[in-house]
Amino acid sequence: MDIGGIWNLIAMQPVINTLVVLTHFLFNNFGLAIIALTLIVNGAMFPLTLKQIRASKAMQEMQPKIAELKKKYAKDKEKMAREQMKLYKESGVSPAGCLLPMLIQMPIWIALFQSIMRVLAVIPENLAGLSQYLYSWPVVYSALPLNNHFLWLNLATGDIFLALLVGGTMWVQQKMVMAPTIDPSQKTQSSLMLWIMPIMFAWLTLSFPSGLAIFWVTSNLFRIGLQYWIGGWGGLVKSSPKRDNGRDKKYKQRIASVEKASTGDADIVPSSAQEEDLSYEESGDKRPDSGGGSPKSPRDTKPKSRRGGSHRRKRG
Amino acid sequence: MRIRKKALAGKISLLIVLLLVGLVAVGCTGIRGSPEGGTGATVADGTVFLSPSLKQAGGFGCSSPAVEGKLVSVSAETGVQRWEVPLGGAAPSGGFGCSSGATPVAVYGNPTLFEDLVYVAGYNGKVYALNSESGALRWVYPREGNMDPIVSGVVAALDKLFFGCADGNVYALDAATGDMLWEFATEDKIWSTPVIDGGTLYLASFDKKLYALNAADGTLKWEFDAEGAFASTPLVYNGTIYIGALDRNFYAINAADGTKKWEFKAEKWFWTKAVAFEGTVYVGCFDDKVYAFNALSGEKVAEFDLESPVRSWPVLAEDRVFVATEEGKIYTIDMVNNQLGLFADLGETIYAPLSLSDGVLYVYTQKQNLHAFNATSGVRLWNQPIN
Repeated sequence: MDIGGIWNLIAMQPVINTLVVLTHFLFNNFGLAIIALTLIVNGAMFPLTLKQIRASKAMQEMQPKIAELKKKYAKDKEKMAREQMKLYKESGVSPAGCLLPMLIQMPIWIALFQSIMRVLAVIPENLAGLSQYLYSWPVVYSALPLNNHFLWLNLATGDIFLALLVGGTMWVQQKMVMAPTIDPSQKTQSSLMLWIMPIMFAWLTLSFPSGLAIFWVTSNLFRIGLQYWIGGWGGLVKSSPKRDNGRDKKYKQRIASVEKASTGDADIVPSSAQEEDLSYEESGDKRPDSGGGSPKSPRDTKPKSRRGGSHRRKRG
Repeated sequence: MRIRKKALAGKISLLIVLLLVGLVAVGCTGIRGSPEGGTGATVADGTVFLSPSLKQAGGFGCSSPAVEGKLVSVSAETGVQRWEVPLGGAAPSGGFGCSSGATPVAVYGNPTLFEDLVYVAGYNGKVYALNSESGALRWVYPREGNMDPIVSGVVAALDKLFFGCADGNVYALDAATGDMLWEFATEDKIWSTPVIDGGTLYLASFDKKLYALNAADGTLKWEFDAEGAFASTPLVYNGTIYIGALDRNFYAINAADGTKKWEFKAEKWFWTKAVAFEGTVYVGCFDDKVYAFNALSGEKVAEFDLESPVRSWPVLAEDRVFVATEEGKIYTIDMVNNQLGLFADLGETIYAPLSLSDGVLYVYTQKQNLHAFNATSGVRLWNQPIN
């Protein structure tokens, strides 16, 4: 069996048949089936997604220190890499912690994406091709071909409202995870990134069947909910305090312990500097503040002290 | 500053890569964005009529096919083209991005001849009547605008034209003028080509029903409920209708009252029309097999594994049935002793119905080639690209 055959067997066929069965049990409504399957898949991957978000967040919190290392060992790349790895190890943060869950999830998303496209099968060539993916369950055969209408939508064609919804929800999700910054150049870069993805996906939504847009909107809403549960509204609301989920403590405590251990070594900026300070560290711009004591843990740090500057550090 | 620009460029590159990966993922599905069509050959008076398939430009989800389909007339003897007529009047799809522009005029149902006219129905929701000699357009239905896509073929009988439409209706038009005479509504799309026998029109719909209508006025005689939708075309043979469905059943239904005589369950869908010869019914299936049944009892007489789905309609030639598989092999089944033989291996995908006329087998492939074979000797007489 070739790779395509294996992919069909382990990914496409299960997803396609599940979609058809869900449609049958959800009042022959394919739109509801897409929403249900997206939620089921998101739910099944919840631990991975959670791990990924937490790891990303922890990585984000370590950025000031990494920036400092980069600055200090700018001329010695090897040493910098060593120190960086050491820092990761001591903090209990693995860069793979962000990537691995994403890599595991990717084939599942692609399978879901491809399956929705295939099950929509509007033209004869596609419907005939769908036959090769079906299990011999009577319910599957009696449900097909599926009705492509959901609310006001023809799920097989693009829809402007859904495109806006995809773009909007993606923007909200991105904004929530975005680290705030007051550095103008960093701000420009961030806002560029903030807009590119939503615009790109909104454009794609217009080009693809709206069944896919339902999948994207549902996924985005799920992620927004998850982000909110983990970190509150994040960058979406300026004054919003960050929700601190208990499980984040694992990373934070380790980071804090590294900080404690490194108080004698002022080369590393304490993690309490958090995201706001990243821009300064990366850009090398002078902070508007200087001096002050370092807090014991990230939670001891108040927003005012972040900006007001209570960190003492030695520039490399 | 340079570092920051590099970082930004890196992020944008990453986004582009992600987008490309996504597009590749879509492209790898082999899902077509637009209808391809491609009919079998209809042969009359030394002329072959067909509508070629539309080739896609390739690429990923956004492949764009040639929008304009056409009807082509070629010499049955040499394959040389006599005329071709573009089928215009494409309906705007109303979509955006990839789906923008006009709906391609793909044609699925074989052209139909009646008196001096040749008829075709397009996926753009129009029916065309052209002079079979010159290709001059006589009329088009509807004159303004477009109907929903038409996948069904057109049937001409009793001075009328009959065809099903994706709007769920079957229409009867005046064959000479194109005026609508009556319509009959089903509850879902119709892709199946209707069949007329005597004064009765039989049509199958996605609504899982087979209907028998009075061809004269479209009134319902009876309806038969199946477990799944119908995409295939019925065969009427000795007072029985034989038709396969997407529920994997092949049904034998009494043509007089719509009662079921027998059914057979296969592994996959039935898409193609059956043929019958001397009390045996032959039908191809998406499970790669051709089944032979006793027409009366439904007892399976034989099955032939062709190792590829059968989508194309088979044809009968004396005591043999010709069957083509999707992967491009043409087989013969000797109906006297039920022996399978390989007739030709074209290596080109075959979806269109096979045609046989005056001992010549015509095969149109999705590679846009029309092949003509001597049905007895298997010698290829000619092949002609029709695109």
